[in-house]
Amino acid sequence: MASKKIIICDDDAGIVDVLELMLEDTGHIVIPELKSLNVKALIENKEPDLLILDLWMPVISGDQILKMIRSNPKTMNLPVIVMSASRDGAEIAAAAGANAYLAKPFDFDHVLAVVEECLN
Amino acid sequence: MNTFQNGKFNVSGDSITDNFELLTQALDASISGIIITDHREPDNPIVFCNKAFELISGYPRAEIIGHNCRFLQGDDRSQAERAILSEAVKKGKECRVEIRNYRKNGDLFWNELYMSPVKNSAGVITHFIGVQNDVTLRKKAEQDLRVQKSMMEKKVEDRTRELRESEAFLSSIIETVREGLLVLDPEFNVLSANYHFLRTFKVSAEETVGKPLYELGNHQWDIPQLKELLIKILPTNNPVVDFEVEHDFPHIGRKLMLLNAYRIELEGQFKDQILLAIEDITERKEIERRKDDFLSIASHELKTPLTTIKGYIQVLERSVPGNVSEKFSKTLSKVAVYVDRLNNLIAELLDMSRIQTGNMELHKSSFDFDAMIEEAIEGIRASAHDHEISLTGNTGAKVTADESHIIQVINNLLSNAIKYAPDSKKIEVNIASVSEYVKVSVKDFGLGMSSEDKKRVFERFYRGGDIQKKFPGMGIGLYICDQIIKNHGGTLWVESEIGKGSTFNFTIPKKSTGKDGK
Repeated sequence: MASKKIIICDDDAGIVDVLELMLEDTGHIVIPELKSLNVKALIENKEPDLLILDLWMPVISGDQILKMIRSNPKTMNLPVIVMSASRDGAEIAAAAGANAYLAKPFDFDHVLAVVEECLN
Repeated sequence: MNTFQNGKFNVSGDSITDNFELLTQALDASISGIIITDHREPDNPIVFCNKAFELISGYPRAEIIGHNCRFLQGDDRSQAERAILSEAVKKGKECRVEIRNYRKNGDLFWNELYMSPVKNSAGVITHFIGVQNDVTLRKKAEQDLRVQKSMMEKKVEDRTRELRESEAFLSSIIETVREGLLVLDPEFNVLSANYHFLRTFKVSAEETVGKPLYELGNHQWDIPQLKELLIKILPTNNPVVDFEVEHDFPHIGRKLMLLNAYRIELEGQFKDQILLAIEDITERKEIERRKDDFLSIASHELKTPLTTIKGYIQVLERSVPGNVSEKFSKTLSKVAVYVDRLNNLIAELLDMSRIQTGNMELHKSSFDFDAMIEEAIEGIRASAHDHEISLTGNTGAKVTADESHIIQVINNLLSNAIKYAPDSKKIEVNIASVSEYVKVSVKDFGLGMSSEDKKRVFERFYRGGDIQKKFPGMGIGLYICDQIIKNHGGTLWVESEIGKGSTFNFTIPKKSTGKDGK
């Protein structure tokens, strides 16, 4: 399987670290980012194949970033997985145009399955 | 009188003796007691009395003649009327008094005495004539009337005081309650408003009482929902109970109010007055909202590190080398179980708070019920490797419900089955389509429960007898399940016997009923 570029953005370093560990053996390149404000530029520079995005983040929230991605012709087709620990996360994610949703706390196998599904 | 002047006898002339006899008989025939006293003799002795006087006084004639009239007064000598009598005797005038006299046997009688002097041709008083009437009955009636009147007056006074007291009591309650109260007439004019109403809506009594409700404070009470309530619902004699109205008041801002309205009724008769109770629940709702917000944030913040811990554990589980001790791998899987439990507790806390404030939201959608059950069981199987969970039956139904809530119920029932049946590995799940419902049964072969536990197992914070010592928990899981199923218009119940395991069953309608989430 060709390796893909995945940006993971969460303001919590632990979450980013765990996801990196989970995806380590998949052969994909993981680009961690703690500041949501940097995501837009990062997408333009790195041209990732997938974005895993937290919902509640300071400065600019996940759904706001997602809306910007979807309204930009260059990035509108980028697969995005939204994750959240809040109860109404799934609805917000769907409304903003996420391809998949991960409820925190997530399950290892489930994460891998969702990632592969979105990459294909 | 004609008889005297033109009749058969004449008081002057020859027939004086005859006529005297006749007059005496006439006096004896009178029902008034008559006496004559001789003023020329010392101490005015009685020289004549008629039969009626004997009757009234109870004394025979022999014991009367020669006495002064005062013997009738017995020992009761201090009456004011005596002065009037002596004055009249002294001045030679007539007088009329009502005086207490006593019969021979001592009985009191009221004597209405008319006394007049008799003068001779020289104008000198020779005699007094006393005409007496026993007016005891009349006096008694008068006295009774007076007593009755004063009793009535006292009663009226007492009653008035009681009314005033109870009015003061009621009005002090009305003024003290922390709920706005208005009394309206049938045209919705305000008859009275209590202190709390005035305070809440920042108005004075002057600008409220006597004014039409809808015109109060620049028409700020001209609220369509309120009008509807007063005009349409009340005349049907149904009270309006806990009707929530939200309204933007020009000066005090947005208020959420709970309205209760009643037509005032007395002994089955509706009086033309309306009692309108207005509870300002703006703050309460705000506090509830803040609490929910706080718990949402708290649970979100707690779940974030929990996600990391769970993730690390799963990473660890997969990187355990083959030669690791059994103790190590068992401990690791136990950690995973407790992390899941912690996660459930956090979720339950949030649900709990929402249920209590009535804010449980159902996000209903249509889904394949059988597939959902299979997935939920698969999820539990993944973390409960020791247990054998079987699934039988099928519903073939598309169900409209809040899928995540139903999954939560199934997870909870399965986790309980695992938790409370540590020595038994078997759990049987059965699903069925029953009429317009789907039914789920989760059967374990564990401890079972007493009939007391069965009754109370769905209560909040209820923990069965010995359960608390052996199994930690808050006692809210089944309460939340019960609330979720109820909110879906279904039923959750348990069949169980001690030592023989328990079966938890629930039904929910296939088609959505009752409350819909936002």
